[in-house]
Amino acid sequence: MTSHRPPHLAERFVAATASDDEWSDSIVGDLREEYAVMIDRHGAWSARTWYWRHALAIGLRAITVRGKRRPAGGGWVSGADPSPRSGWWAGLGRDCRYAVRSVVRRAGTSAVIVVTLALALASNSTSLAIVDALVLRPFRFEGLERMLVVVSSDPQQFPLDRSSVAPADFRDWRRDARTVQWLSAAEWWDANLSGIENPEQVAGYRVTADFFTAIASPMTLGRSFTADEEVPGSHRRAVLGHALWQRLYASDPTVVGRTIRLDGEPYEVVGVAAPGFSLPDGAAIWAPLAKSVEGWNERKRADLTVVGRLADGATLADVRAELRALADRQREAYPETNRARLNGVLDFTTGMSDASAGPFVATIQAASLLLLSIACANIANLLLAVGAERAQEFALRLALGAGRGRLALQLLIEASIVSAIAIVVATPLTWGALELSHRSIPPSVVRFVPGMQYMAISPTVFAMTAAFGALATLAFALLPAWHATRPQLADTLRQAGRSTTAPRQRHWLRHVLAAGQVAMTLALLFGTVLMLSAVGRAVDGPVGFDKENLLIGRVVLPQRPYAEPERRRQFMESVLARLQAIPAVTVAAVTSNLPYGGANTGRELFPEGIDVPPADVRAVDYRRVTPAFFDALRIPLVGGRALNEGDASGSRAVAVVSRTLVERYWPDEDPVGRRFKLARDGAWITVVGVVGDVVQDWFQQRRRPTVYRPVAQDPPFAHAFVARTVGDPASLAGDLRRAVRASDPDQPILAVESMEDVVEDRTAGLVFIARSLAVVSAIALTLAIIGLYSLIAFTISRRTQELGVRMALGATRWQVVRLTTGQGCRITVAGLLLGLAGAFALGRLMESTLFGIVSISLWQLAALTAGIASVALLASYLPARRTARVDPMIALRSE
Amino acid sequence: MKTATYLGEFEYAVLLAVLQVEDAYAVPVRALLEARTGRPVARGALYTALERLEAKGCLRSRMADPKDERGGKPRRYFTLTAAGLRALQATHGALANLARGLESILEKP
Repeated sequence: MTSHRPPHLAERFVAATASDDEWSDSIVGDLREEYAVMIDRHGAWSARTWYWRHALAIGLRAITVRGKRRPAGGGWVSGADPSPRSGWWAGLGRDCRYAVRSVVRRAGTSAVIVVTLALALASNSTSLAIVDALVLRPFRFEGLERMLVVVSSDPQQFPLDRSSVAPADFRDWRRDARTVQWLSAAEWWDANLSGIENPEQVAGYRVTADFFTAIASPMTLGRSFTADEEVPGSHRRAVLGHALWQRLYASDPTVVGRTIRLDGEPYEVVGVAAPGFSLPDGAAIWAPLAKSVEGWNERKRADLTVVGRLADGATLADVRAELRALADRQREAYPETNRARLNGVLDFTTGMSDASAGPFVATIQAASLLLLSIACANIANLLLAVGAERAQEFALRLALGAGRGRLALQLLIEASIVSAIAIVVATPLTWGALELSHRSIPPSVVRFVPGMQYMAISPTVFAMTAAFGALATLAFALLPAWHATRPQLADTLRQAGRSTTAPRQRHWLRHVLAAGQVAMTLALLFGTVLMLSAVGRAVDGPVGFDKENLLIGRVVLPQRPYAEPERRRQFMESVLARLQAIPAVTVAAVTSNLPYGGANTGRELFPEGIDVPPADVRAVDYRRVTPAFFDALRIPLVGGRALNEGDASGSRAVAVVSRTLVERYWPDEDPVGRRFKLARDGAWITVVGVVGDVVQDWFQQRRRPTVYRPVAQDPPFAHAFVARTVGDPASLAGDLRRAVRASDPDQPILAVESMEDVVEDRTAGLVFIARSLAVVSAIALTLAIIGLYSLIAFTISRRTQELGVRMALGATRWQVVRLTTGQGCRITVAGLLLGLAGAFALGRLMESTLFGIVSISLWQLAALTAGIASVALLASYLPARRTARVDPMIALRSE
Repeated sequence: MKTATYLGEFEYAVLLAVLQVEDAYAVPVRALLEARTGRPVARGALYTALERLEAKGCLRSRMADPKDERGGKPRRYFTLTAAGLRALQATHGALANLARGLESILEKP
């Protein structure tokens, strides 16, 4: 029997954890003794398991206790107060250990707090990560802080128009400015790249030679541009973006020096940009900005983006002063073009980031903060409840001489431990949320949102989350700690567990917290509903056309080969003929601007016979379409005739106009036969028909006056083919591509997609915001309802005896329910009143900041209020009913 | 009073058990605690309590009897010290004072 040795490793563990050799020997001996008995009784295998279990338990306890042992010679005092010899720090250590035990002991409560806080924190750190990536630091490269952007538009305007500098203005500044180095300009240029398997349109910019130097971006291969390449004729050089180089040229280092075809012309590749470099606006290819002398003298057309770097020793203020002086001089010299031109110098991030991201991201952030507040209120209430339960414990410790601050500190430590766990739990949640965010935003949108690639958990985000967690901890723990440690010793001790309702003041605080939750939830839900209905309108609302079963193919014809309008018209006709030949296509058409297409073209309209003063000239949307367009999109003809094949380039200039345009200029009149001009000195155009209105874009819900002209009379370079299909339009994408390639093998097709995809892409950002808000609100609502429910349930559980007395004395169940539910009612009503004010204010704020897409609906507000009220009443009725069902005698005896 | 003499519930129980058991070492002390209180007693808790009580001067121990069935390891026998007895008396007295007059409730029928 003695030959059975216990598991060696387990024994070593026990021996190693004992405090000295004697203890180690005696404990090991004890265990061997018992082990031998175990083997006799239960067999070797059970005994081994038994031994392992107990060896681990003993060792672990010894390790945990080790830290707690007081220094030798220290008196032994019960836990309330540090002994005189152990310092404050030792006391702190003991508080921490006590706090850990306390957290573990109340595992259920702790878990609820952790989950609540983790959800709120994850929501906040997700939106913080988005704010950090899209708003605060969308650009991350060396020397960023010395970079600047110059605009000729109003720098305060929203959204900022950064492509607003006239070439001649830029040339003057570049020549004269001393406070800024390498002032350089970029001009939008989406190039058609051909000579590869599938010609495609590449996001590109034409830039001045200093552009890469200004941003201090090193080349992966080759070089950037030189000053003599800014001259037309020697400008056919290109720098490839790193990703494009990898994708199309398999990272081939010999690509430098090779010739590629851009817009049908040969360009020599001189370099490959640094990995990740895609300025401005997700550019993937660059060519020199070459202008003739006349081109550089242009002051009227202002569409350059201008960036530069601070000269040594100069500040942003110096640049502002100098450029303002230069702009003033220009204003005097060229009043005709420059009179109304503003001048702004912005830091690079402000100037180049996506302006529309700001308000949206702010919306999510605000919602997350509300959620955090709700979570804090919830947790605070929970802690108050726990505090009420622990009142005896605290009273005892206070009586034994512990300081009030000491106890409060210990509660704070407990809260901090829970918060720390919540922060850890929130991290994977945040990761998941960001992953979802990445997936829910289509690549076509990503291009225009700089910083999207930085949307991830960074140390900054983690630090901010931790800071939020710490703040939240203070918010939810301080008040309960203060309350729980209020020295009302005599009362609490005398109560000795026989409790009724808590002291009135504590009561009051908890009610305020619950009401606050209801209020914040109502405001948050209302904001979400506003957003959701705005999105619903944008995505599924009436748009004036039928977006189903439409195949879209977008094309941008290059300037040079298609300089002749006739060639553009021939190209369109050739593609259309091939499209019409596809059996599954019922109607095919061309339009210059697609609804929801992103781009808009406007013209000023001068109706015949109406004298419009210059200040009142209004712009209208200007569309060029083939006759079949209205059929293809199913836009109804309201009056007159549609366009037809007879409206050719040589015939009378005609137009079809939208209903809103008629209402503005010819109300109560027959518009057919009326004439208008699209420029003060333009030719007369005759109205031949009226069609229904079409919603052009989600953020302009208003129906805009629109003029439709025959494509044949003014063929555009950029246009879209629209084909109404039988069945799934996506299945015909290949046919559309073949039709374009057969008409011009060099011509890439920018995008082939269904009209529903186009709408989805345009509204993706909005949908993303709305969905995020919906998630946040759902969590908030759940928290608030749980909070209210547990408050009422807890209060009632403390009153069980009182209710028992009442019932024993003859109170009916209904009276008991009314008594307890009434409390919930008062909280709910107070919360809702407060919430209504908050919701209304929030709605107003959203109306004013979110591009007018949001409009307050009082019906929705009323419905929400009623909804929350009924859920809240249910939450307070359920516990009341349960109590009222209890036998009075049981209630009386309960404790 | 010379020393602060308040014992935790478990310490109180352990001291009583040490008094009860002849040749008190951990194994029989634990067995007695479980038998008399009807509650499971973790070995680790007992060892730490014994160690703590010894450090406080309530218990004294000696090592003896290396035995075969213990793989040649000695036993650690505990005896109560005078201070331990005082602490036990004080705690017991305090509890008894508190309980005075409540016999009808406390004593099970």
